[in-house]
Amino acid sequence: MFEIATRRRPYVLLAVALVFQILLLAVQVKRPGNVRLIRVWAVELLTPAERVGSWALDSLSGAWTGYIGLFRANRENQRLRAEVGELALENSKLESQAAEAQRLAALLQFRDTHPDAPLLAARVIGGDAGAARAFYLDRGERDGVQQNMGVITPQGVVGKVLEVYSNTSQVLLLTDKNGGAGALLANSRTQGAAKGTGGPTLELDYVSNEQDVAVGERVLTSGMDHIFPKDLPLGIITEARPGNPFKQIQVRPAARLDRLEEVLILLSRQQWDWAQPAADAAAANAGGRSAAPNVSGGTPPPAVAPKTSPSAQSAAHVNPVQPVKKDQP
Amino acid sequence: MNPTEIAENASAPPLLIRGVSEPRLEVHKFRTGAVVGASFLALVLQAFVPAHVWKGDVLADLLELPLLVTLYFGLSRRNPSRGLLLGMVIGMAQDGLSGAPIGLFGIAKTLVGYLASTIGARLDVEHPVSRMVLAFAFFHLHHLVYVFTRRWLLAQVAPLMSVRVLVASLVAGLLAWPLFALLDKLRKDEN
Repeated sequence: MFEIATRRRPYVLLAVALVFQILLLAVQVKRPGNVRLIRVWAVELLTPAERVGSWALDSLSGAWTGYIGLFRANRENQRLRAEVGELALENSKLESQAAEAQRLAALLQFRDTHPDAPLLAARVIGGDAGAARAFYLDRGERDGVQQNMGVITPQGVVGKVLEVYSNTSQVLLLTDKNGGAGALLANSRTQGAAKGTGGPTLELDYVSNEQDVAVGERVLTSGMDHIFPKDLPLGIITEARPGNPFKQIQVRPAARLDRLEEVLILLSRQQWDWAQPAADAAAANAGGRSAAPNVSGGTPPPAVAPKTSPSAQSAAHVNPVQPVKKDQP
Repeated sequence: MNPTEIAENASAPPLLIRGVSEPRLEVHKFRTGAVVGASFLALVLQAFVPAHVWKGDVLADLLELPLLVTLYFGLSRRNPSRGLLLGMVIGMAQDGLSGAPIGLFGIAKTLVGYLASTIGARLDVEHPVSRMVLAFAFFHLHHLVYVFTRRWLLAQVAPLMSVRVLVASLVAGLLAWPLFALLDKLRKDEN
């Protein structure tokens, strides 16, 4: 080792001498900007190392920060996803409540336009598992509901009460094969009978072939069935053709029977001035959400107490199937 | 006469055997103070003559006595370490006297001293012609290192080759003949 160092001594000495003088020159020489060359060299020598170190530290710090950020973002993402789910659910609830409020508002408005009508609001609580087109309401005998009472919405006739229980009742839709109502054509006042077909439409029978019947003509209740008062909206004629011995007329129900949620039960068949207010109610209902009054969502439909005299109400409750003459209290 | 014959025919005993395969060459020793005195004198003359004798003369730039002294002692003593140290000292002193940054001539003469000592250990440098050729060649090597140092470190533009440089190198070569012969007188008498 020592021998090698001795043999290489001239080279080492030469390198030391040259480096020493180069450094000596660098100390003396100044570059533009009055900066000594040795300082320039020092900066140029150290800057890359500092840059590499800084880059390494920044990369490490960035990677760590990114990892932490990613971890936090992931947690935040999970939390936000859960929150979005909750908000979507809440939004769905609110939309449902808003729709319900609209429907209730329509019911209230309908009720307000018929202050003399003995109406009881009810909520649809279930369908019928059998073949019959029927559903159940949350009102029963305790609420004054009786068999064969009419069930309507602001848009039109729905059906009649088929069975009554203490707190619930079963309603048979107009469109059931056993359903139907006395009907008359709005324009000609020609009477007939609307019968359920088991499908989405009704058949209007007993209208002679000579009678002019136009598609789109409104069909109203005639009151002859002793269930519904006269002039309630029953439906719209969608098809009319000659038949034997009577015309074959298809009627689309005025009420949306496939979207029933709240209905009104007619506690009496007393007659009142139904046509004009009903038309107004339908128009108001078509007007949209702006017509909805302040009705809190999620609350049970209000029991609309009939604003008739107690005696009349009592009479109507006692024997609802009895025909009630118009203007009879 | 090749270096081996020189070594074999030398009457004086100071022979340096550098290895079985290497030629045996004389390593000359000088009188006490000869190296220092000659170097000092060369530096003084280099600073004095151009400034006071050849003031403004074209000859002022052609003289390079410190280079020749460095070259001579490097070739004669044939010790690279001593050669480069002597070159460094003479060069830095020349820098100090000329007002150039210390190290500019020093670097060039360090290399000249090292290479001259290395070559002197391998070649016959006693013949006047070889001395003139070596002086001419080393002048250009010295100038090359000097110019590159100025360009690299001082960021100064200096011509690598010009007529003046060529003439100066020829002057150095011609001057080496009498100067080296004069310096030979400073050698110790081996008898």
